[in-house]
Amino acid sequence: MTREKVLSDILAQVPGASAAAAPVKDYPTVRLSQPSDLPTAARLLKDELGFDYLEMVTAVDWLGPTKTEGFLPAVTPIPFAAKAPALPVTPAAGPDIAYRPVLDLLWSFGNLKTHLKVFLRLEVSREKPEVPSLTGLFPAADWQERETFDLFGVRFSGHPNLTKILTPDFLQGHPLLKDYVHQPDEFDAD
Amino acid sequence: MILDKYPAVLQAVPGGKILLTTTDDFINLGRKYSIWPLTFGLACCAIEMMAAYASRFDFDRLGVIPRPSPRQADLMIIAGTFVKKMAAPVREIYHQMPEPRFVIAMGSCANCGGPFHDAYSVVKGVDKVIPVDVYIPGCPPRPEALIYGVMELQKKIMRMKLAKGGGATLQAEKGSRDPAGGA
Ligand code: SF4
Repeated sequence: MTREKVLSDILAQVPGASAAAAPVKDYPTVRLSQPSDLPTAARLLKDELGFDYLEMVTAVDWLGPTKTEGFLPAVTPIPFAAKAPALPVTPAAGPDIAYRPVLDLLWSFGNLKTHLKVFLRLEVSREKPEVPSLTGLFPAADWQERETFDLFGVRFSGHPNLTKILTPDFLQGHPLLKDYVHQPDEFDAD
Repeated sequence: MILDKYPAVLQAVPGGKILLTTTDDFINLGRKYSIWPLTFGLACCAIEMMAAYASRFDFDRLGVIPRPSPRQADLMIIAGTFVKKMAAPVREIYHQMPEPRFVIAMGSCANCGGPFHDAYSVVKGVDKVIPVDVYIPGCPPRPEALIYGVMELQKKIMRMKLAKGGGATLQAEKGSRDPAGGA
């Protein structure tokens, strides 16, 4: 089985799937069109293509640079420079790189026999990010999804215990979102 | 000869084979050379702490022998990045250690948050949670620096007085302990 065959198999059997314009490195990367396609694609990968190892679940917040209090802006003007550099608006071309208000979810599947790797990507809105959980198919999804929930606020529907896993209980909000504003607590600098 | 080594601590009685000292000095001398730290590392600084225990730097020659239980430890070396989620367990372990107990904040992270000063998850200094006796700067401090920190702590121990404050150390909840060892 080659990576081209894997890619064409997924594209043929998952409706609305397309090859991602910007693949993760040079791995086969599939962009799903809606959250309900995720279990179909994951089941296909696990049961028919032999990708029985869920390596990673994570997300990317593509909102552009936001200045929040206490944190540096994306480009700090160089002191004493004749002219401060302008903030970049759209740093790179292509639908997968431009800044836009979406959360880009990412799943990585591995096939331990053929040593192949497949990435699934899915964009969800930043306002109400919700996707089906993969805990039924891959028990390893449990903590990974809790981490993605904790840091990005993505709700995984069907997850048995979707609670914070890394940040302390008193921390408000999801710290890896670009517009996260930190509420100072007793452990921060005065 | 022991008298040459501790002229201010011990005095010989003329003509006799008796050494005179004060209770404070005697107890402090014992404490000074049996600082037992808790085996406890939080991040990269702990690697330098392990090096200090190992044979090239040999912490044992100062009487510094790591103990696996807070009940047997005198010293807590906060070696590494101190995250907010760790604050409650560290406070609990600190209170499980018997008095007199000492704390060394090792590395920039433990002193003030260090490279993670702007992070949402890191405590900006161990002294926001427990009292600290000696601060060692560096990222990470070399084992020599840690040994120097322990030697500074030994000097501090020699200034402790049994009579004042009931115990030996300041009963501070957090912050920096008086560098003059006032209590
Ligand atoms: S001070 Fe530097 S070496 Fe020490 S824990 Fe922090 S980052 Fe690591």
